[in-house]
Order: sequence, then structure tokens, then C-alpha cells
Amino acid sequence: MSATQSEYLRPKDLRAALEHKAATPDARFIAGGTDLLVHARRPGATLPQSLISLRAVAELNEVTVVGATLRIGAAAPLTEVARHPVIAERLPALVASIDVLGSRQIRNVATLGGNLCNASPAADTAPPLLVHDARVELQHVGGRREVPLVEFFRGPGETAIEANEVMTAVLLELPPPNAEAAFERKGRVRMDLAIAIVAGLFELDGSVVRRARVAAGAVAPLPLRLTEVEERLTGSELDDDVIAEARRLTTEAISPISDLRSSADYRRHLTGVFVERMLHGVAGSSVTGRPGA
Amino acid sequence: MTDTRYIGSHRARPDAADKVTGKVRYIHDISKPGMLYGKIKRSEHAHARIVSIDTTRAERLPGVCAVITGYNTPPVAVGFLRDNSALKRDKVRHFRDEVAAVAAIDPDIAAAAIDLIEVEYEPLPCVFDPLEALEPGAPLVHEQDARGTSVTSNLVPMECGHDSGDVEAARRAAAHIVEGDYSVPLIQQSCLGTAGCIAEFDGNDNLTITAKTQIPFLAQRDFNRALGEMGLRGRNSRVIVPALGGAFGSGLDTHCYEFIAILLAHRTGRPVKILVDREEEFASLSPRQSARVKIAQGCDAQGRLLFRDIEVVQDNGAYASWGATFPTVMLLPVTSLYRVPNVRFTSCIVYTNNTYCQAMRGYGNPEVTWAIDSNLDDLADAAGIDALEMRRINCNEPGEVTPMQMKISTCGLRECLDKTAEHLDWSEKRGAGSGPGQTRTGVGMASLIHVGGSGRIYRSDASGLTVKLDDFGNVNVFYGGVEMGQGLHAVLTMAVADSFGVLPEHVHINQTDTATCPWDVGTHASRGAFMSCNAAILAAEKVRARIFSACEELFPAEIDRALTKLRRDDPELGVPDFDFAAASRADNFELRDSEVFLRDGPDVPWARVPLGRILRAMHFRRDGEMLTESVFYDPPSDLPDWKKGIGNMSACYTYGVQGVEVEVDEDTGEVAIKKLVSALDVGKVLNPPALRGQVYGGIAQGIGYALYEEVKTEQGRILNPNFTDYKLPTACEMDFPIVLEFIETDEPVGPFGAKGAGEPGLVPTAPAIANAIQDAIGVRIRDLPITPEKILAALAKRG
Ligand SMILES: Cc1cc2nc3c(=O)[nH]c(=O)nc-3n(C[C@H](O)[C@H](O)[C@H](O)COP(=O)(O)OP(=O)(O)OC[C@H]3O[C@@H](n4cnc5c(N)ncnc54)[C@H](O)[C@@H]3O)c2cc1C
Repeated sequence: MSATQSEYLRPKDLRAALEHKAATPDARFIAGGTDLLVHARRPGATLPQSLISLRAVAELNEVTVVGATLRIGAAAPLTEVARHPVIAERLPALVASIDVLGSRQIRNVATLGGNLCNASPAADTAPPLLVHDARVELQHVGGRREVPLVEFFRGPGETAIEANEVMTAVLLELPPPNAEAAFERKGRVRMDLAIAIVAGLFELDGSVVRRARVAAGAVAPLPLRLTEVEERLTGSELDDDVIAEARRLTTEAISPISDLRSSADYRRHLTGVFVERMLHGVAGSSVTGRPGA
Repeated sequence: MTDTRYIGSHRARPDAADKVTGKVRYIHDISKPGMLYGKIKRSEHAHARIVSIDTTRAERLPGVCAVITGYNTPPVAVGFLRDNSALKRDKVRHFRDEVAAVAAIDPDIAAAAIDLIEVEYEPLPCVFDPLEALEPGAPLVHEQDARGTSVTSNLVPMECGHDSGDVEAARRAAAHIVEGDYSVPLIQQSCLGTAGCIAEFDGNDNLTITAKTQIPFLAQRDFNRALGEMGLRGRNSRVIVPALGGAFGSGLDTHCYEFIAILLAHRTGRPVKILVDREEEFASLSPRQSARVKIAQGCDAQGRLLFRDIEVVQDNGAYASWGATFPTVMLLPVTSLYRVPNVRFTSCIVYTNNTYCQAMRGYGNPEVTWAIDSNLDDLADAAGIDALEMRRINCNEPGEVTPMQMKISTCGLRECLDKTAEHLDWSEKRGAGSGPGQTRTGVGMASLIHVGGSGRIYRSDASGLTVKLDDFGNVNVFYGGVEMGQGLHAVLTMAVADSFGVLPEHVHINQTDTATCPWDVGTHASRGAFMSCNAAILAAEKVRARIFSACEELFPAEIDRALTKLRRDDPELGVPDFDFAAASRADNFELRDSEVFLRDGPDVPWARVPLGRILRAMHFRRDGEMLTESVFYDPPSDLPDWKKGIGNMSACYTYGVQGVEVEVDEDTGEVAIKKLVSALDVGKVLNPPALRGQVYGGIAQGIGYALYEEVKTEQGRILNPNFTDYKLPTACEMDFPIVLEFIETDEPVGPFGAKGAGEPGLVPTAPAIANAIQDAIGVRIRDLPITPEKILAALAKRG
């Protein structure tokens, strides 16, 4: 990292942050900095000339619930997101994804906005947010828009965000109380980027799947919704054949690569195992009648 | 020696307060007035001829004070075989090769200048596989040896082998034989504190270098030789060792960056600091070498080992470091782990265009124990004998002389085996393996032998120690060994306190500095505690004799003075009828907790004289004296004949066993450790928390070696030079119960009965885990690290 002086701004409200950004298009937003600073220290990389911190922007640090809509400030530290009573109770898959992200120290500063805007295919919070049909709220000086998270990711490190925009919040509708959520992931060691992630959200009618949402991470250029798998599951009983087919469809839908963390084959295998495990878990709990089911 | 009240007790280490408050000064924290920052330009090829180097643009950059290359500096030879040079001329043999260097007023300018240096290369054919490098017609990494004689092969001239008994006859006689090909990867020492140095010259061209090293005195020799090559023959280098954030063998050589700092400091006349950052540490320091081990072992129908036959091929990389002496330490387990009468060992170390390798904790021992103890389980299976029973049948015993002629004095291996089996519930769990769902559980164990009384691999294996006592009763200790985090200063403080009879608060271990400390070969071979504490005991004998002899004259007078003073305050003071003058014979004195008293004198406070008073009395009397003593401890061991692999290389030997319970997930290939037992015969526990720390740390490193770590390369380039891509176990992976047992066999040559225990913690971990995996799922993994993918592949083959 070059030590050439960078400007560091710490606006207190959103308007000031957006105005800074409009005035200095090269400026970069920084939330927890746990991706940005790591990238800036790579050989050959430099720190952006101007940094706009989002940590003091109150609107971006709040978690609120209005009716069934949950609004998570994009710059709220992950530890606080996971601790929020509604999230802790209603979004176990999201909480599970936060619990495995980095270390406690990282989670104390890292944010949801950072995890999504960094757009790593292995972003841990993306698959659970995808199964909740989350939307992201983007703002610039002149306006505001909402983008479904599935449309937000464009490729590794690429998103739908425009140069003058900031992500202000992640929005989602709380799932019905009987919905069953699951999250599976694995790294080489526990504090590692994932080599495969699977999240799911299921609504069952007796033993028949009424609604299924399944997403995967780290096994394609972007975090993916596995719609073929969802379609196969919807209206079916979760018996061994259906589960085996879901596993097969999963391994066909993903396009993992080989890298230093894992071979493509192992990623594909592991994703299949995760889907199978998740579905067996859901099938098991629908029979035994877990509380809330 | 007095009784031991500090040795064996729990005390905070003397460097703890500075470490936890951030006061301790590592090389990163040190700067000197006028200091410049050095940066190194490295090769862009694994093997190439240097056609030209253009430094003009770098020289013109404001803030740059010097740009040096192999063409504008005197050649400085580097390395164990002096086959390397500080700055390369003519050709480069690996990506890390140093082709130019810059000194500038700040690190960013130095880095920018490096990018302005243009080097033109003519690429040469490369060789990365040691076996290919041995084939006729393979590209030669070195066309000449260090003397300039032409060579025709890539073999490193380092012969080490062993052949005892008659392996072929034993092979014919064996009832069961199991062979196997094993391999271990390149791994990094991964010190928390990365490397660096500051070199500076005084007006007389003498060098002071503050360096991260484990071998200050061998480094002084190397640096002095470099001064000679720089035209400064007869000038001296003084090596000062700052606080080290771990070394694990990475400091057992002098490195090109140190010689480059010296060249830059001399060129500029200013102190020059070179810091190695994490990526550079991976890419340009020397990891533990990769090796292939071919093994065959055979036993008779009763399971008695008849022979062991081992061939090792080691990828040395482009230059030879002390790491090329790895096979010498491999000889320990090869010839002497379990009783085996017929042993053959051949080793071959091969130059390639890979990064060159160095020592790491265990120094060859874990690499080959991996093969021996994994293969032994397979042999036990073939013979239909339980793996624990197999180890008991072949257990080493005290008094044994091994095929290498190692004289085993104390040996607690049998007890270690029993304790490990007990804590693991071996008889219940071995072979019982089935876990919940897709998981299978298993237990396995492996043993170790390591040098316990230092390891003689250099002409002298000694350690000097000087003590300087002062008017205040302080004992200042000057010891040439290095505190690198392992707790040397803590144990030496306890040993001095106990052997001298002083309070530990009065013991001060000084920074290692070749100008003030007597010679020491280096802190390696688990020798720090063994050597320094033995030296402390020798020094204590001398110091106490001088104090007690002085006391014959001084002690009665001191008592008289004390009494006179007390009587003044309290005329009623009762004084026992005792003739202090008559009892004041040298052999009747005792010194304990910094007070001198008479062994058979009255036990009253006024009959105890603080050591400081005695020392002042010695100082200020007519013909006064200051109490300073130096000792030089050379352990009773022999420099082996490496070609034959014969010799008692250590004064005693440490034994141990680790046992592991694992749970293997057959779906994902994941291995989870459920429990780990370590039983270690250390002779005597000197410093309980520090010893536990050493073993816990060793286990963590052993688990890293077993399951996670590997420096990955492609055409010689290191692909994962950071902790994002190179994975170490962290506290999260250490989430299982660890049971530690220490067996105290009271080693006669050990200080207080102790044997070295620094390295053993990681030696048997990997084979113990592999044996447990084999017990769980019936597959044998022979290549480290044991990744989930390897497990799944083996399971697919098993069917
Ligand atoms: C040791 C370590 C371990 C890690 N482990 C994991 C892991 O297990 N799983 C995982 O998914 N990630 C992991 N990460 C990556 C990182 O911590 C997460 O991606 C984190 O959520 C990033 O959040 P941040 O607030 O720190 O982002 P920052 O670094 O502040 O920002 C990241 C990027 O997003 C942009 N940005 C941030 N906020 C906004 C916003 N509101 N609007 C517009 N742009 C914005 C920034 O400009 C930057 O480009 C790890 C990182 C480290 C250092």
C-alpha cells in the first residue's frame, strides 16, 4: 500500500456523504474497511485518494422493522445486525451466515453493505439474503431506487451500483413464522472464505413443499438462486428420490472454479452434499414437528 | 545447588509485562537516527541469464541514496555451501533471487525506485521436480560449485546415510513387510513477527547489525567473512538480537537481505533497515522443504521389527542453506525410533529452480516420522497385531545403544505409550469406529524421539554464560542463546535463582549481543533450556564458592555489625550463645533467596546477611573484587560421521507419544479432531506453563502440517504467499480437549534432570492423525496435508 496521503471524510448524515461523493467521483465509501483495506494492501494496489466513511452516518447504522418489512442499515456492524431481536428470532440463516463470517473482531466492524458491495462470489450473507428475496436500497443526491438482490450482483466484484450511489439499506419481508430456514457452508479452516455456501427457505404444508427458495455461494461467478431446484421441490414431498434429484439439479446449476481454496469438483460435490443435508433436515423437522412448523 | 523452589513452579515470565503492554521492541519498532530503508529487486524468472540491469532511472529518483547490483558491489558469498550470493551476477535461479537493491529515505520511495530498475533477462530452461532434476540432460541449476569447479549434476554435495546390520538378509527373513511412498509439502514457519534487520557502520568500518537470528555467533562469523569480501578484512561485526516474534528455524541461516543491508549501509554510510513483509516472507525466506520418503519395514511373526529401509529425496531449491543438513536429524528416528536392528538410509538432496528451503521446528524429524509411524500401523495390520501392542513390542528402553550408536540414558517411551492409550480409551475405541450419520470415529497414535541434550551438528556444540553480580545483589546474566518467544529467559531466570540461591527478581537476563555474551552455537535442536540451565548450574558453583570463601572473613563482621545496630535499638535483645567466627567456614555457608546464612547457625533474621551486603563488602574492602564469572558448557556428545550415520549426537534423548481421536465425515471428507493426548518424557518439568505452551503450540503446528498447510507453487512461483490463501489452524481449530502428560525420568546429564522439549510437540501429530483416520475409515493417506479432497479420493478407491 502506498502511504501517499489519502483524504478521510467522516460525514454525520447521508446528505453530506452523498454530496461529497457527487463532488469527488473518485472517492470511495468505506464502512468497516475489512475488504477495502485488504485490497488496498495487495501488491501493486494503492489506497483511494479520498475515503468517505459511513460509520458516523446515523441513518445507515439502524435496523428497523415496519410492519413485516425489515430494514437493515447498510453500514450497521454485523455483530449488531445479528443481535437485533427480530433478526435473531426470525432470520436464523442470516444470523448463521454472520456467525461464520471472519472473526469476532471482523464482525464488530464489517457491514452488510460492505459484504454485498464487495460482491465476492463467496460473500457469506448473500445466499441467505437471496432466499429472503432481499432488495437493496441505493441512493444518490438526486434520488433513491430499490434493486432486487438477485439483480444487484453482476459478476465477481461487479454490481448494479452506479458511481454516484451509496447503498443505504437492505430490505426484506419477514418470512412467515412456520418457514424453515437453513444455512450450510465450509471453508478450509473455520476462519476462511467459503468454498461452498448453501442457504434455503422452505414453507411446508404437512410434508409437501409449498414454497422453496434455495441459493448458493462461492460456486459460480455470483451468488445464485437455484430456481431449477426450487421448481422441482415446490409441490413435492421431500422423499429420498426428490432430494437426490434436487442434489443433481444443484450440481448442474452451479459453475464452480478451481482455485487455491478448492477444486471445482470438490465445490460441486460439497454443494450437493449441503443441499441434500439441508433437505433431509427440513424433511426430518416437518415429520417431528419442530416448534413453529 | 540449593533445593529447587522456582524450577517446577508457576511464575509469570519476565518478558510477560512488556509483551502484553506492547512495550517490547521487535525489529519493526526500532529505528536509528539518519536511518535509510532498503528494498530489494527480485528476479522475474525462475531461471534466466541476466543480460543487463539499468538502474539510471532509479538513481535519479529524489530520496534514493544508493542503488546497488552484483555488478557495482564486491561479490559476497552466502549460504551453508556458499553457493549463493547477496546480489546475483550472470544468472538467477529462482524468482526470489536478488538482482538489485535500493536505499532511500522512506520505504515508499525505496519501493518506487525498485520499480524503476529495468532488468533484461534471457530465460533458461527450468527444472522444478527433484527427480527430473536428477535425470541426465536436466538443466543445471549450478554449473559450478562454490570453488568454481564444474559440476555435472544437480545433486547437493551433502552426503548422509546409514547402513547397519544386514537389511537384505532381514528382508528375506521377515514374516511381514510393508512398503509405502510418503510425501510432505513445503510449509512456512509463519512467524507472527516477520524478519528484518538494521545494519550500521561506525567510523572505523566496524559493523553493528540488529538482526532477527537464532544464531548470533555463526551470523557474526558469516558477516565478518562478508566484511572481508568487501575489503574490510579484520573489521568486526557485532550482532544484536531484538525481541523476536517467533523463529521456528527461519533464523538458522544468514540471509541475502542481511548482506544487502550491510552493503547498502556501507555504501551510504548510514544505518539501513530492511523489513520483510508477510508476502515477502513467504516469497523470499526459506520454508520447510518438501520431501519424498520411500519406506519399507519388516517384522517377524511376533511383530518384532527386523529392518527399516528408507530413501529420502529432498527438493533443496536453488541454493543450500543449513536445511541441507536435514538428513542428519532424520537419522534420529530412522535409526532409533523403536528398536530395529537392521537399518538402511539413503538421502539425496537436489537443486531445483524452486525456492530454497531451510529448517523448521523438528528439522527433518517430522518429515520422516510421518512415514515411519504411518507405515508401522500398516505393518501391525499386516501382522495382525494391535498398533499399540506393536509399539510396545518394539519399545525403546533405557540403557539401549541404537544402530546409530546413540546412547539412550533415560527413556520414558513405554510409559508414554501406556498413558496415551489410557487417556484415549484405546482398548475400547480402537477398531470400534462408528459415529453418528455419515461420520466415523477412530483413534491412532504415533511416537517420537528427538535430541534432548542438544544436537551436535557443528564443530562446537557449546554454550557460554557470563554472570556479573553487582553491589545491589543483582545477577546480570549474559547468555548467547536467543529468546524467540519460547520462554528461554523465564526458565533461565528460574534456573539461576535456584542454582545460585537468589531471588528471581534479582536475576536479569540481558539482550543477546555478540559483544557482551559469550559464544553459543545457536538456539535450535531444543537446546535452549538444556544448555543455558546447565551453564547456569556451572556458573553457580563458581560464584557460590567465591562468595562463601569471601564470607569466611566477611560474614562474622557483618553479623557483629548487625547485632551492634540491633542492640542499640533493643538492649534486651536475646542473643544465642554461638561462635559465628568459628562456624564461618566456606563449607558451612548457604545462600538462598539472596541471603547468606550458616547451615548450622541459629535460624534468626539477624543471622542472615543479604547477598548485596556481602557483595558490597567484597567490592569495597582493600584489594576489592567484583564478582564476575564465565563458564562454557559443552555437552557430552559426539559429532557423528554423517556419511555413515554413526555417532551419539546428543547428550540424551527425549521420547514421546501423541494419540488422537478423530471423526471423519465420509460425505465431505472433513476430519474433526475430538481429543488429543500428548505424553512426553521431558526428564523434569522446569517451567510448567511454558512447557505446556510449547507442547500446545507444537500440536497446533502439527495439526497445520497434518491437515491444512502447503506452500503451493507453479513453475517455481509461490501462489499463496499470504494468510488468506495459506491456511494455518487458529484457536477455532483447537476446540477439542488436549490431555498433556509429562513423564519425569530424571535425566542425569540434564539440568535438574530435564531434557529438551522445544520441538517434539509437532513431531508425531501428523502420523497420529493419519493412523486415527485409517482406524476410522480404513484408508491410508500418505501425502500431507490430509485434505478433504484426498480423503474423498481415497474413499472412492476403497469403495
Ligand atoms: C480476516 C478477514 C476475514 C474475512 N472473512 C470473511 C468471511 O468469512 N466471509 C465473507 O463473506 N467475508 C469475509 N471477509 C470480507 C469482509 O470482512 C466482508 O466482506 C465484510 O462484510 C465487508 O464489510 P466492510 O464494511 O468491512 O466493507 P468495506 O471494506 O468498508 O467495503 C467493501 C467495499 O464495499 C464498498 N462499500 C461499503 N459499504 C458501502 C455502501 N454502503 N455503499 C456503497 N459501497 C459500499 C466499499 O467502497 C468497498 O468497495 C473477511 C475479511 C477479513 C479481513
